[in-house]
Amino acid sequence: MPIQFIMPKFDMDQETATVASWYKADGEQVELDEPVLSVETDKVAIDVPAPATGKLVRITAQVGDIVPVTTVIAYILEKGDTEADLPPAEAPKEQQVDIQPAKPAAAKPGAAVSATPVAMRMAQEHGVDLADVNPDGSKVTKADVENYLSRLATVSTGRVQVRATPAARRIAGEKGINLTEVPGSGPRGRVQADDVLQFNPALQPASVKSADRRQAKLVPLVGMRKTIAQKMQVSSQTIPHINISVDVEVSGMLAKRSKINEANLREGEDKVSVTAILVRVVAWALERNQFINASLIDESIHLWRDVNIGVAAAIEEGLIVPVIHHANQRSLSEINADIQLLAERARTGQLSLQDVQGGTFTISNLGMFGVKNFTAIVNPPQSAILAVGKVRKEFIPGIDDRPEVADLMNLTISADHRIVDGAVAAKFLADIERGLENLDMILF
Amino acid sequence: MPEKTYLEAIREALRGEMLRDERVFLFGEDIGRYGGAFGATYGLLDEFGEERVWETPISEAAIVGAATGAAMVGMRPVAEMMFMDFILLGMEQLVNQAAKARYMFGGKATVPMVIRMPGGSGTGAAAQHSQSLESLLIHIPGIKVVNPSTPYDAKGLLLSSIRDPNPICFVEHKLLYKTKGEVPDGEYTIPLGVADIKREGRDITVVAANIMVPRTLAAAERLAEEGIEVEVVDPRTLRPLDVDTIRDSVRKTGRLLVVHEAVKTGGWAGEVIASVAESPTFDFIDGPIRRLAGADVPIPYNRELELAAVPQEEDIEREIRAIVENQY
Repeated sequence: MPIQFIMPKFDMDQETATVASWYKADGEQVELDEPVLSVETDKVAIDVPAPATGKLVRITAQVGDIVPVTTVIAYILEKGDTEADLPPAEAPKEQQVDIQPAKPAAAKPGAAVSATPVAMRMAQEHGVDLADVNPDGSKVTKADVENYLSRLATVSTGRVQVRATPAARRIAGEKGINLTEVPGSGPRGRVQADDVLQFNPALQPASVKSADRRQAKLVPLVGMRKTIAQKMQVSSQTIPHINISVDVEVSGMLAKRSKINEANLREGEDKVSVTAILVRVVAWALERNQFINASLIDESIHLWRDVNIGVAAAIEEGLIVPVIHHANQRSLSEINADIQLLAERARTGQLSLQDVQGGTFTISNLGMFGVKNFTAIVNPPQSAILAVGKVRKEFIPGIDDRPEVADLMNLTISADHRIVDGAVAAKFLADIERGLENLDMILF
Repeated sequence: MPEKTYLEAIREALRGEMLRDERVFLFGEDIGRYGGAFGATYGLLDEFGEERVWETPISEAAIVGAATGAAMVGMRPVAEMMFMDFILLGMEQLVNQAAKARYMFGGKATVPMVIRMPGGSGTGAAAQHSQSLESLLIHIPGIKVVNPSTPYDAKGLLLSSIRDPNPICFVEHKLLYKTKGEVPDGEYTIPLGVADIKREGRDITVVAANIMVPRTLAAAERLAEEGIEVEVVDPRTLRPLDVDTIRDSVRKTGRLLVVHEAVKTGGWAGEVIASVAESPTFDFIDGPIRRLAGADVPIPYNRELELAAVPQEEDIEREIRAIVENQY
C-alpha cells in the first residue's frame, strides 16, 4: 500500500506549516529518513524526512502553501505499489488555513500531550486527537477541547455554519437575507429572529468601510505574529503582573568586563558582551530564587531544576527567544559563544526547535535602543521576565553627599504575582545586584 | 360568581353527577364516614347512603378492577386512590384491563370509569406519598389523563370525565385543594383535550399544568413588571394533549418552556416539546426549548429539600427570564 506522506507536527501548539522548498521532485526515488522537503513553522525552519523508502508521487503542497499539520502532502509508492494503488485524487480544495478535522491514524505525533482528566475524557468521547488541540496553557483543558470542537463545527465540510434559531432562518429565507451577514445577538453569536427583522444590509460594514477613508495595507495575522499575539494576550489577561524596578551600579562589572576583554583580545578570543555577563549572573541568581525559575501549571507550581535562560531578540518577522540551556552550569565564555551562535542562527533563520524550547526565564534587553527602563510581559508558562535598560552615567550622592559619577543600569522584573510575591522578586533583583558587584564570586 | 375551593368544586361535581345519574357511585379507602384522606367526599355518605358511597378494603388492585368491571356492565364508577402513588398497585387492572377492553372487544364494551388521585409534593408526605406519576399514565393508549389547576377547571373537567365513556385518571393536587376560585353553582362541562390560555403574552409560551399553573402565573405577574409578557398555556388534560393550542402560542412567542413537578427524565414536558419541534412550528422557534421539572430524585421528607426538589415560583421566574434574555 502507498504510504501517506503527511505534514508533520513539530510543536504542541502548531496548527500549520509553510512549504519552503522541495528537495525531491514528483516521481523521484527517496530513502527512509532522507530529507524530502523543508517547511517553516511559527518558530523554525525544519527538514521533513521521508517516512518510507520508495517513489515520491502526487505532491499536493506547493512551495509557499500553508498546510494544516497531518494533511497528506504526497504519497510514497513502496516496492510493488503502482499509481493504481493510490486513493482517488480529490478535487482541488481551497487553501485551508484552519484545523483539519479528518485524522489518519498514522498522524499521531510522537510527543505525548499533557491534558487534564476531563479533557482526556472529552477528547475520547468526541474522537478528538489531543495533539490537535491547541491549549491555552501548557496542559489541554476542558475549555480547550470545547473551543476546538466549536471551531470544528464551523470548519467541517468547508462551509461556514451560521448559528441561528429556526425562526431566524425562516425569516432570513423569506426576506432573502444571507444569514452569514447578520450579526447575532444571542449567546455565542446566535442569530435571533429579531436580528434578522432589524437587519438592514445597507447599514452593514460595506458602507462603514467606505466612510472610513483611512488607507491601510492589511497584514494577515499568521505565523509568528499570531503566536506572539495569542501568547501575549493570554499572559496579559490571565497573569497578574507585578513590576519591580532597581537601578544597579555596574561600574565594577564594566571594569571587570574590560579586563576580561583585554585578556581575550591578547589570546585572540571574542569579546564578552554585557548580555553574556547578565545571563551568567541571572543564572546564578535563579539558582537561589527558585520561585522565579518556575511555572504555575494547573494547581501546581513547578520549580524547574534546569536553568534555561531565553534572550529575546528582535528579527524582521517579530520576536524570537533563543534559549541558553543549563546556563547555571556553563562558563561565561561558553555562554558568550552560545549567544553569538544563536544570534547568527536567528538572523539566518537556522534556529532549530531545540534552540527555542525549554526556557524557564527570559531576559529582554532594549539598552541598545537607548532605553533607560521598561517593563515586559511574562512569557507563559514562565513566571518572570527581566527587562534590562542601557548603561548610563548619573550623578549619585557619594562621600559626604558629594556628587559622584556612577554607571547605572536599570533592571525591571515583571513577575506572575500568583506565585511570585513582591519580596521574592525584590530579593531576586538584590541577588543579581550582588552578583554583578561580585563577579569574581561567580565567574569561572 | 361564588368563590369555592378546589376541594369544594370536586365535591360539587361528584354530588351533582350522583344526583343527575344514579349509575354514578363512589368507592375507595376511608371515603365514607371520614370523607377521604383530604375530605373530597365528606358528607356524601350521609346524603347518598352506603349503596352509592362504599368503603373498600385496602387493595388498590381490587378498587381499580372493581371499577373496571362495574363500568363494563354499565355503571359509572368514580373510585379514589388515597394517594396517586397507590395507583401503581392498580396498574395491572388499569393498563391491561381498563385501557384495553374497548379495543379488544372491538368497541362492544366501554369502560366509563374515573379514578381520582391526589398527586404531588409539598405536604411533607415523603417519597411514597408525593409523586407525580402522570407521565407513566399518558404513555398508555386507552386512558385519558386529566390534570386540573383551578377550582373552575376541576368541576367542569370532572363532570366531563364522569360522562366520558373511557377510563379517566383524574389527577388532583394536594396543595390545590384549599385554593379558591370562582365556580358556578350549576352544571357546566369543560371538554377533555382542550387547553386553556391562563394568561396571554407575547414573549414566551410556558406550558404548565396543575400546581405549576398558579406558580407560573405568579412568576409571570412579577416578570410583567419588567416588561416580560408570559403566555401561560394550561393543557388541562395531558392525554389527549391539545397540541394545536400550544403550537399556535409558540408561533406567536417563538419560545417555549414546559414546567412540571414530575421528574424531568421521561416527563411529559418531553412529549409537549417533541410535538412542537416535529411540527412546522419548528420554523418559529427562536431559542432553545427548555424544561423546568422536578429533580431526578425521590421527593425528600426534609422540608427544605422537598421544596428544592420541585420547581418553585422563583425557579420559574428565573428560568423564564434567562430564556427571554437569551442566556441559553
